[in-house]
This record gives sequence, structure tokens and C-alpha cells, in this order.
Amino acid sequence: MRFSVAAEWVELPLKQFVDEARVQLAVLLYPSGQVLGQFGFGRSVDVMTACALSAAITASSAELGRMVDGTPFTDLHYAGRDKQLFLGQVPIADGALVFLTVFDDESSLGLVQLFFREFCAVTASVVPSSNAETPALSDDFERELNHNLAVLFGRQ
Amino acid sequence: MTSPFATLLFTLVRHRGVKGCMVVDERDGVIVDANLQLGVDGAAMAALAASVYRKARRAATAAGFGEIAFFELDAEHGRVCAAGRGGLVVVLVAENRVNLGLVRVEMLRALEAFA
Repeated sequence: MRFSVAAEWVELPLKQFVDEARVQLAVLLYPSGQVLGQFGFGRSVDVMTACALSAAITASSAELGRMVDGTPFTDLHYAGRDKQLFLGQVPIADGALVFLTVFDDESSLGLVQLFFREFCAVTASVVPSSNAETPALSDDFERELNHNLAVLFGRQ
Repeated sequence: MTSPFATLLFTLVRHRGVKGCMVVDERDGVIVDANLQLGVDGAAMAALAASVYRKARRAATAAGFGEIAFFELDAEHGRVCAAGRGGLVVVLVAENRVNLGLVRVEMLRALEAFA
């Protein structure tokens, strides 16, 4: 298994999603870019890059949505030649987490969207209430960022 | 605006026992057009049926049987039928009492519109 989680409650919904949607990569993160759990990545630098880009895309598309449509854009899908990308927001008690997944022809957008809905429901039911109070960028953000990456790749 | 599949879907859903019918993109598993009764989760049905159809088609090809024309899933309380061509799949959800032979002919005839 290529799973690793920085918070225990992430494991159940993430494993369920990966098992059912048959995706190649999946990562759950805070909107700030701090990783909570991942599947499929081999190197911490790749997780860090994926998280940073996902957080940036989410922030940019939300702002773009506000400009052109009055409300933030939420989910994003990009279909490449061989691989596809889905970036969604996972609502929790007081805010949202960001979820990135990459899949190929073994899965489909419909399956990813279907199991993403279930992922959101399971995550909302297991996420600790204190989690929502985590600030987007705390004073020790960089240390926390590195801590989570270290936990994921067994360097703790 | 009416989609090019509206007539096709209407022809299929008017049969007794049919709970809904959809035209689904085979690769993405998303609905192109649908005519569904209340209570049928179209998005879930489209995603799962397209996935099964795609895998059945690959299995038939791997076995050297050529293209799959039609498949049917029998469950305790109903049936799911699918037939595809040109990247589109017609998915039909029905009760057990549906006249399967008639529906099958209609679905295969409908595929001609996808050519």
C-alpha cells in the first residue's frame, strides 16, 4: 500500500475512496497547502509540490469564480490525453479541505465524482471538530508543513 | 432546447416497467442526456453502468469476441441494460416486469443514431 497519513482520521475515507474509485494519486490537504494524507506519491517533494499547486489553484479559481460568477468556483476537472485530474473541496464543520486526485482509464470522471461525494460525507463524519479551528496559516506553519511531510514519509 | 437524444429516450422510457434511460459518455461516465423517474440516482447509475460496460467491452475484445453489443444485469428487484457505440452508451434502468426483448430491440435500433 502506498498510503500515508499525517492525521489518523484521514485513513478511512482516503482508503475507501482509492479502493473504490481506482485512482492513481490522491492527496488531502488544508487550503494552506499543509498535507493531511496521501496515496500514490513516492517522494515528499512531489507531495509538497502537489499540495502547493493544489492550494494555489483552489485559491485562484475561487477568486476567479467570485469575479466572473459572484461565487467561488469549487471543483475542477482537467482531462489530459492519458491522465485526468480532479480537484475538489471537502466541506467540514467550519470551512473546507482540498482534495486532489489523478486517474487514468481504469477510472472515470463519473466514478471519481460519485466516490468523491461519499468521501466528503465520510470525512465530514470523522473529522475532529477542533480541526476546523486550525488557522489557514498559523505562526509555526512552516514547521507544521515539514512535520506532516516527515510523518508521511517516515522521517519522524 | 431539446437534445438530439430526447426522442430516443422518450421511445425507451414509455415502455412499461422502465424507470429511466440515459445516454452516457463511455469514457467519462457522465450523463449526456437522461429521462429518469424520481428516485433514480442518475449520476451514480451513469458512472457505474459506463464503467461496467467499458470493462465488459474490454473483456470481450480480450477474449477475441469483438465488440460488445448489449449487456444486461439482473438483480433481485430490477434490471440494468446497456448498449453502446461510438463512445456513447444507452443505459436503461427497469423493473423486472419490463419486456426485455422489446427494449433490447429498441436499444439496438437506437444505436444506429450514434453512428
